[in-house]
Amino acid sequence: MHGPDVLWYLVLAAILFVTGALGVLVRRSPLIILLSVEIMLNGANLALISFARRSGHADGQVFAIAVMAVAASEVVVGLGLIVAMGRRRLQLDVDTLRTLRG
Amino acid sequence: MAADVVVWIVWCGAAFACIASALGVVSFSNPFFSALALIGNLASLAVLYLLLGGEFVAAAQVLVYGGAVMVMFLFVIAYLGEQAREAPWAGGPSWQAVGTVLAAGAILGEVLVALALTTGGRLRHEAHVGRSFGSPAQIGHLFLTDHLLAFEVTSIVLLVAAVGGVVLGSHARALEDDART
Amino acid sequence: MTAANAAAWVCLALPLAATGSIALAGTRLSRRGAGYVSTLTTFGSFAAALVAFARLLAEPAGARASTSTSWTWLAAGPYRFGLTLLTDQLSVTMMLVVAGVGALIIAYSLGYMEGADEERRYFAYMSLFVFSMLLLVQAGSLLLLLAGWGMVGLSSYLLIGFHQERPAAIAAAKKAFVMNAVGDATMALALFLLVEQTGRLDDAGVFAAAPHGGTVANLVALGLLGGAVAKSAQIPLHTWLPDAMEGPTPVSALIHAATMVTAGVYLIVRLHPLFENAYLVEDLAAGLGAATLVMAGLIALVQTDIKRVIAYSTMSQIGYMFVGAASRAYPNGIFHLVTHAFFKALLFLAAGIAIHALSGEQDIRRMRGIGRTMPHTRRAFLVGSLALVGIPPFAGFFSKDSILAATIDRGAFGAVLLACGLLGTFLTGLYAFRLYFVVFGGEGDARPHLHGRAEGPPSMVSTVTVLAGLSAVGGFLQLAPVWTPLTTWLAPVAPPFAEPSGAHEAIASAAAVALGLAGIAVAYRLYAVAGARVPRPWAVLEHKLYWDELYDLLLARPADRLARGLGRFVEQLLVAGSIGEVARGFQLGGAEVSRMQNGLVRAYALALAGGVAVLALVFLSTR
Repeated sequence: MHGPDVLWYLVLAAILFVTGALGVLVRRSPLIILLSVEIMLNGANLALISFARRSGHADGQVFAIAVMAVAASEVVVGLGLIVAMGRRRLQLDVDTLRTLRG
Repeated sequence: MAADVVVWIVWCGAAFACIASALGVVSFSNPFFSALALIGNLASLAVLYLLLGGEFVAAAQVLVYGGAVMVMFLFVIAYLGEQAREAPWAGGPSWQAVGTVLAAGAILGEVLVALALTTGGRLRHEAHVGRSFGSPAQIGHLFLTDHLLAFEVTSIVLLVAAVGGVVLGSHARALEDDART
Repeated sequence: MTAANAAAWVCLALPLAATGSIALAGTRLSRRGAGYVSTLTTFGSFAAALVAFARLLAEPAGARASTSTSWTWLAAGPYRFGLTLLTDQLSVTMMLVVAGVGALIIAYSLGYMEGADEERRYFAYMSLFVFSMLLLVQAGSLLLLLAGWGMVGLSSYLLIGFHQERPAAIAAAKKAFVMNAVGDATMALALFLLVEQTGRLDDAGVFAAAPHGGTVANLVALGLLGGAVAKSAQIPLHTWLPDAMEGPTPVSALIHAATMVTAGVYLIVRLHPLFENAYLVEDLAAGLGAATLVMAGLIALVQTDIKRVIAYSTMSQIGYMFVGAASRAYPNGIFHLVTHAFFKALLFLAAGIAIHALSGEQDIRRMRGIGRTMPHTRRAFLVGSLALVGIPPFAGFFSKDSILAATIDRGAFGAVLLACGLLGTFLTGLYAFRLYFVVFGGEGDARPHLHGRAEGPPSMVSTVTVLAGLSAVGGFLQLAPVWTPLTTWLAPVAPPFAEPSGAHEAIASAAAVALGLAGIAVAYRLYAVAGARVPRPWAVLEHKLYWDELYDLLLARPADRLARGLGRFVEQLLVAGSIGEVARGFQLGGAEVSRMQNGLVRAYALALAGGVAVLALVFLSTR
């Protein structure tokens, strides 16, 4: 079975990554930002798996599973923060949460 | 030959769904729709993983990401309700938008250029792989031999996240009790 | 290392050990104990010097010099500098003088300084001085000599300012140190030139490699001469010596008569190859020496402080030594150095007995009449004065006249030097016996306090007696041209240019003695005969030829104004102000930069993305 070359998968991964980056930089809701970060991570995963297929070693897939685990942990903490902010009736707007300043 | 065409069609469909859902995630103003779009993204990615011979990873993707992470997202969105929706779409300093487009475009362009530069032959030919490529047995074997350290460290990361989640949750409850009394 | 070298090391180490132990022992050592430590170690040094002398005598004449290096301080590339001692005829002669006269004077101090509060400090400083002077004369490398040179200056500063509660003493110590520092600086510059030209500073090597004639040789000799002039108090760096009399009398005897001030003469003799390369500088040295000996003689005529008279006398006699050394009559210069050490120390110490008996009175007008009650001191002072004037058979006669004889052969310039020397002899007779007749002759009201029947403590009286004996017979060390053991002894190291003939010696001696006696006669007429009218001294002489005022105008006041100006403009505005401006600049910059930290997470994320884009570009472009 021959499908598209690995190259196409990589182009797709790049597009995913940049789309996720756009989301992070443009949106103001922390929830949406977290989702965009997930998209970026998925783009990276796709690139990893493509390279694993290209080289014949499954190490890239192992790496991708580890990334998934870390992404899950990060989402836990992130959502925990968002929930905590919600309980405190803070506005879920990244632009107004700016006490981390010099 | 027919198999090739099928593969191509599947690939195009999955790729299109992937990009469309990604754009959807960043575009919808309702976070619920964004989460749903992400689920679609994850599903299309699972298909692509299957095309690349990573069966276990595809399964893990659907189970872990789709089954656990996204469910958690949906719970939180449901919990927050109106609060989640009120966040405006975009705004902030004007240079933010301009800079964003420039930076993102630059990164995309550079990656494409890098890819183009390597098509002298290095990315064209895939290696021959056997039937056990990407099988759970192979993945497990790799995790427990070559990448044992990553395996252990990842488990610690998960533990930390779990503890962190509990801490964040309990703190908030305590504060809420204070606010109520 | 030969036995002579070993003895030299012992000689050098003993005073250092004394200083160290007195300093470290502190109050655990009694005051008398400190004095004994210092005295005994200095006598030990003298014994070691005698041993070295004996060992050298056992060697054949040509093979007497030897060096011994105990520690290499700097070995870098072609340069080797270390703790190198040179034990040869000249250094052993100087060691004997320094250690011998030093031991006698320190023994004298046991009596003189008794009752002073800070005796331990005094003896520690005295031992430090003896060590420094021995280091200077034994140095086998010019670098070590410079180290000894500086340390001697330090000891002098410490001892002049010994009576710390007296502002005059402190000021005098500073003045001495500053003027010596000028000399040190010129010497250091000369050494820099030498190292640059020859790459080495050990005596033998640098003499062989130094340039003959030319600008560099002249500059080197000039720099060395500057140091010699400062240390030996010749014109123009002489004004510190009279003020240095603020120190205790034994200090004046040891440092400012017998040993330190003669270091300049020693320098010229030791480094004579370098000076012979630059005959212009040699002539300059001789000229300065001659000018100083006349000027100092004139000023000594009108001084009223007994120690200051003797100080100007020292200045004058060193002028003789400079004339001798610069005329390449090296053994003669050294001979006069040795005899001068004897009788000048004698004069100072005898004066010290008188001062001690009169509880610190030093004005000669108020000391009149003590000759009656202190005959022993009077006789000692008489011996010293006769030796000073150069009346046979006392020591000064033999040494001074040989210097004068050496100048006869040198043409017109030599004639000028001879004239100055002879005039100096007349003046010496005049001022020396003015002093003697005023203080020890005639009637007066001075009432000294005597120690029982003796005129002073036994330590003081005995050392004065020894020195009087040496002044009487020391001259027989050399009777040119008949008997010249000293010249023979020193010849391998410092050969004289030419030995003056017997006729010249006779003429010079006759003239000098005649003029000396004439001076004594005039002094007798003016001061000893009761009721003689003493002429009024010229104001110029009383003000020491206005040298101090000149230096104040030329150097001290402009320096003061410059310092004030710099303080106001450069220090406050530029230095302190610029630091303030730099600080303000940083503050403003920091304020501007901190505006980037606005707290917007998205802005931070944009910065990250932008950074990644730039880095990717860099990686791509360097492929």
